[in-house]
Amino acid sequence: MLGPVSSKIKSVSKLKYDEKPFEHWGLTSNEVRKITEQKDHGLTDKRMTLKEAVAKYAKDGMNLGVGGFVNTRVPAAIIHEIIRHGAKNLTLSFQSNSICLEWLAGAMIVAPEKVSIKRVELAWWGYELIGIAPLWRYLVTNKIVETDDYTNYGMSVRFKAGAMGIPFIPVRDHGGSDMELVNRGRMIECPFTGKNVYLLPACNPDLGIVHTTAADMYGNARIFGALCTCPEIAQASAYTIMTTERVIPTDTIRRYPNLTEIPYVAVDAVIEQPYGTYPGACYGFNWFDMDHLRMYRGLCEDFRKTGNKDGLKKYFDEYIFGVDNFDEFLSKAAGYKKLRELRTMDGYQPIYTL
Amino acid sequence: MPEYSAFEMIAFTGSRQLEDKKIVFVGTGLPIIAAMHAQLTHAPNLYMIYEAGSLAPILEIGMPLSVGDTRAGRKACYLKGLCAVFELTQRGFADYAFIGGAQIDMYGNIGSTIEGDNYNKPDIRFPGSGGAGAMAANCAKTIAIMALEKRRFCKRVDFITSIGFGNGSPDYREKAGVMGSGPYRVITQQALFGFDDATRRMKLLEVRPGFTPQQIQDMIEFELIIPSDVKEMAEPTEDDLRLLRDEIDKEGYFLKRVVKK
Repeated sequence: MLGPVSSKIKSVSKLKYDEKPFEHWGLTSNEVRKITEQKDHGLTDKRMTLKEAVAKYAKDGMNLGVGGFVNTRVPAAIIHEIIRHGAKNLTLSFQSNSICLEWLAGAMIVAPEKVSIKRVELAWWGYELIGIAPLWRYLVTNKIVETDDYTNYGMSVRFKAGAMGIPFIPVRDHGGSDMELVNRGRMIECPFTGKNVYLLPACNPDLGIVHTTAADMYGNARIFGALCTCPEIAQASAYTIMTTERVIPTDTIRRYPNLTEIPYVAVDAVIEQPYGTYPGACYGFNWFDMDHLRMYRGLCEDFRKTGNKDGLKKYFDEYIFGVDNFDEFLSKAAGYKKLRELRTMDGYQPIYTL
Repeated sequence: MPEYSAFEMIAFTGSRQLEDKKIVFVGTGLPIIAAMHAQLTHAPNLYMIYEAGSLAPILEIGMPLSVGDTRAGRKACYLKGLCAVFELTQRGFADYAFIGGAQIDMYGNIGSTIEGDNYNKPDIRFPGSGGAGAMAANCAKTIAIMALEKRRFCKRVDFITSIGFGNGSPDYREKAGVMGSGPYRVITQQALFGFDDATRRMKLLEVRPGFTPQQIQDMIEFELIIPSDVKEMAEPTEDDLRLLRDEIDKEGYFLKRVVKK
């Protein structure tokens, strides 16, 4: 979207794109603050089942902020339950992700009456080494979803602005690329230096979903390994569902408060879900399951090439709609032997939950 | 000279571009391998940034298979999140962006978002910018790995994802509000390219033994600058190949990859 000030992108780009007036795809910073002010901010036990949490917080038309990064510490268990519960006309917000999104897209193909994606604001959707994401390509080239492209920093810092309670944030990227033309950021002249600087709108999802290493029953959470953008997403969102590898005592949290990456006020539901990132990885617990990702990706690629939904449908019937909860999915899709193997492949990364 | 594959040549050439005592912000695959090779040879004090949040890890439990791999956090000096490492970069602490892409033009602008002329209905949709757009904007210098084909070295990229020198005007990057100095090297298996200081256009620096500059030009849609002092690309030695095959990419995840056309 070109404003009164811009880079010289128009002198080099011939890109066609739909010009649209600015629109918030999630909540504004004022709206999200209002919701937060109305909540109790005491220490209350927020443990519940994933089914209860999703039934309470997942709504049609919501902006869903998805944590993790590509195949790492992705909130797979929460997505699994959101699909089983159903959620339509979703706006998805994330920096880079893989299986969570391909699961939602697959659900939209096999059960459109339950799940649908309307818009995607992102930096990257794929599996890295394992390959491109077939359903992402399918959704965009068939014009099924609306897209809004940023860099990984762009999406991350949009959540950060959301977490800071400010409406926008200046950055040193996007300008001079075609993202300046198509995304909802805007170039301005800096009021202090007089130089061009790019502004990105804050991102405040209706619901943030993250998986953490350990948390107490109130939602104070530790994260080991890369933080990705999970603390920012949790704090930016109106409501946050958190799965965690293990629930730990609050005494432990209070002993080393510096290790708390997400404060309890930013969390609305806490669910202990071991292997809650599977088939993604979780630092200190399990590496990602390349075989399962490849298997599912293969089914998606078959659908993209042939239009035949049978393989995908069978997968969803067996692994998602045909199970009662994520533990049952883990038993079916992975099993103890596989989880044990993935635990070894993690390389015993150091975590601290004492 | 020992036999080597295209990917081994690219990784080795990438390694040669990286100076010691610098920080390289790596993309998945060959950039990681090139940086690991540099650390094991001429640049022991070179460190990596991985965009999920890791600075200067020691990759003792194996090569990360992606920039988000949990292994990339191993024994890092600093392990936070995406905001932290991209802000180090925006602030000026990252010397090299090491990225790839689907298309590149004569000014080093790189496309990795779509193929086709319409953003809202592209012919092909790629994963998207990922970190590349931010790295090309704000690392001091950008190094890109590309496949040398006419459809990829094209007159105009369909979508500029990672900023180069734009239209070549001297103030393009300043008007764009980015901080890094821009394109520095482009690595292919047949040739190494740099950029002309005066015109900011891509120029041929080195060709692989057995190739002529004209053969390289024939694989490119735009006109290259071909100086009179084009050199031969150095080839990996037995020692280099042993490092690449036996110590870095032991399973052959990237070096033994089969490329589908």
